[in-house]
Amino acid sequence: MTTGPGPHTRLAGGLLLWYGVLGGAVAWAAHLLVAWPLDELTCAAGRERVAAVPLWLAVWLAVVIPGLVTVGSLLVATLVWRRTARASSAGAEDRAVDRSRMLAVVGVWANLLFLTIIVLGGVAVLVFPPCQG
Amino acid sequence: MSTTTSTAPAVGRDDLARLAEHWAEPRSLRSWFTTVDHKRIGRRYLVTAAFFFVLAGLSALVMRTQLARPESGVVSPQEYNQLFTMHGTAMIFLFATPMLFGFGNFLVPLMIGSRDMAFPRLNAFGYWVFLFAGLFMWASLPFGAAPNNGWFAYAPLNQVQHNPGLHMDVYALGLLFLGISTTSGAINFIVTALKLRAPGMSLNRVPLFVWAIVATAFMVIFALPALNADNAMLFFDRRFGTHFFDPSGGGNVLLWQHLFWIFGHPDVYIIVLPALGIVSAVLPAFTRRGVVAYSLIVLSIVAIAIISFGVWVHHMFATGLPQLSYSFFSAASTVITIPSGIQIFAWLATMLLGRLVSRVPLLFVIGFIVTFVLGGFTGAMFALTAFDQQVTDSYFVVAHFHYVLIGGAVFPMLAGIYYWLPKITGRMYHEGLGRWAFWLAFTGMHVTFFPMHLTGLFGMPRRVYTYRSEPGWDGWNLVSTVGSYLLALGLLLVLVGVVHAVRRGRPAPADPWEGDSLEWSTASPPEPYNFPVIPRVRSLHPTWDARTAESTTTGATADRVLSDGRRTLFTSELDARTERAVAMPEPSYKPLVLAGALLVFFTAMLLAAYPIAVVAVLVVAATIAAWLWPPRRPDEELGVAS
Repeated sequence: MTTGPGPHTRLAGGLLLWYGVLGGAVAWAAHLLVAWPLDELTCAAGRERVAAVPLWLAVWLAVVIPGLVTVGSLLVATLVWRRTARASSAGAEDRAVDRSRMLAVVGVWANLLFLTIIVLGGVAVLVFPPCQG
Repeated sequence: MSTTTSTAPAVGRDDLARLAEHWAEPRSLRSWFTTVDHKRIGRRYLVTAAFFFVLAGLSALVMRTQLARPESGVVSPQEYNQLFTMHGTAMIFLFATPMLFGFGNFLVPLMIGSRDMAFPRLNAFGYWVFLFAGLFMWASLPFGAAPNNGWFAYAPLNQVQHNPGLHMDVYALGLLFLGISTTSGAINFIVTALKLRAPGMSLNRVPLFVWAIVATAFMVIFALPALNADNAMLFFDRRFGTHFFDPSGGGNVLLWQHLFWIFGHPDVYIIVLPALGIVSAVLPAFTRRGVVAYSLIVLSIVAIAIISFGVWVHHMFATGLPQLSYSFFSAASTVITIPSGIQIFAWLATMLLGRLVSRVPLLFVIGFIVTFVLGGFTGAMFALTAFDQQVTDSYFVVAHFHYVLIGGAVFPMLAGIYYWLPKITGRMYHEGLGRWAFWLAFTGMHVTFFPMHLTGLFGMPRRVYTYRSEPGWDGWNLVSTVGSYLLALGLLLVLVGVVHAVRRGRPAPADPWEGDSLEWSTASPPEPYNFPVIPRVRSLHPTWDARTAESTTTGATADRVLSDGRRTLFTSELDARTERAVAMPEPSYKPLVLAGALLVFFTAMLLAAYPIAVVAVLVVAATIAAWLWPPRRPDEELGVAS
């Protein structure tokens, strides 16, 4: 007889699954909501620095940090996908496993999409001076 | 292929009689005003949205008649401004979204195996508010006071010093009023889909149409507050002298555009996503197989719903913001084409791998794919800042968004009307009439809007009531006008087809198309309680699945019959495990009274009759209190009986 995972493990597993599914989306939203107003409002105020930090560097950080979070989310989604694949191939007919597998597939592709958007935004930071109109 | 039928041998006559007693609503005037049945409310949404569509379409015909020749005088500039504003506003707010909410209202409970929406009275309230808000806005037209600033009502032209009169007050208050309906409907869809799914319908077995409706509902919840804030500030600026959009008072005209498009671009997908869900629902019946790549279509629905919130600045590429800002939105606007493309390729693969059954709904789906791809192609062009700046505010933009919205929303809706008409009315439509309607509407649409790409590239600005004779403008404008009459004729034939079906159509069987989702396992039209036995779902295609069918016949259990009251099942959010049976509310006048009080409030605010507005607020508060007052329950039920 096997015992199921404890409540803490289930909670951690659930949170990790949702990080794998939605982590990239949340990271991209954070990237957009920080990088865009940082650039637009700082330039509108006629400055090129945020506190003591050059604007380009601040915007760059708003690209790199969410990008790393998205990569982490992509890895988690891939891990869930591989583990649920093993459970499925072992013949387990479990609604929760099937549902987790589908969410993992959604997570992998969604994270790739969000990573692409963040990377494209990062390329623009390399090309444009922050306040070029 | 269909294995589930509307009859349920395992359910006794007594159970069926009790179900009918608890759920049936008598055909009376009182019942007409108090109904909370999702099917009746869904039908009302469809009919009312169609009525507003006719009004908005007639406005468009008048405009096209005016623009058929240069320097024409069919309408005055002032009338033209009101017509194009009401056309856009009504098509977006009073037709497209409510029409899709109508499909959702009728179909979501049926598709997920429930007996009603989660909040039936809120559902009725949402409909009444939608009806009253629509009448509130259209009623301004005969008085010459209709909104006249374009459907996106840019500042500073929406300010009282540039636009006196009630026009933009009607716009601001009308949309605030309507927003109550849209928000309540969205909340209802989310809770219904999360809590009322039949046992066994885990997330990976949810129909794609339901995924699309839920994603849309979340988008409404997040997008609409921006529009509401915008309109509230506009009303304060105009009526009480605040300066939110007035630079001379410390305001900012671009604030209007930012807030409007934070709502406005997601709204394009709020309109298109459920329509794409209709396509995914229609295709299995006419290809004889499930839609290819279910998981990727779910991905695409979720991804579009999220990314659509990060593209709004592409509507502002000509406003002089920093290039770097544009690039973040340009990247998102480019990448959002990928999930849309995934769906297109999934449908094409489904058609390629399946066996096509050429009926009217499939024709409209094919018409949708052709038209929507062309609209998406020009949409990708707008994601490029340099191109966007060349054609902004030209007829090229008009051509683009009509390809997206007619191709991406109206054609799927027409496919849905023909597909579900047997379920909604219990009658079959006339196939020949439907085919004529398709070819006229499809041809008319392209003859109307393709030339606008050219007139736009030749420099014709949008929103002009007339134009001087210019090389390349005159002939193409005439072609567009001829096309618009063809399109109108096609749509008229759709209406004729629906009326013909209702009056003279032959009776429809429960499942005329051998569809795969649960609504086809109910009677046509469905019984008031939808399902004699709530099914236990064991497949993504429950109506094609013998084990699901068995759960409603020999495998029926009392906990899924629930005939001793007006009850349905609550299940868990992710895996749809049975939690408990819940009692559903009875019909009530309160939704109508509350919506009526709100109508009085908004009308009083429009006419500056503030004491009446205060009285209306008190009626609203009293009605809400009465609505939420806990019902009397037996002591046994409360657990206090000895």
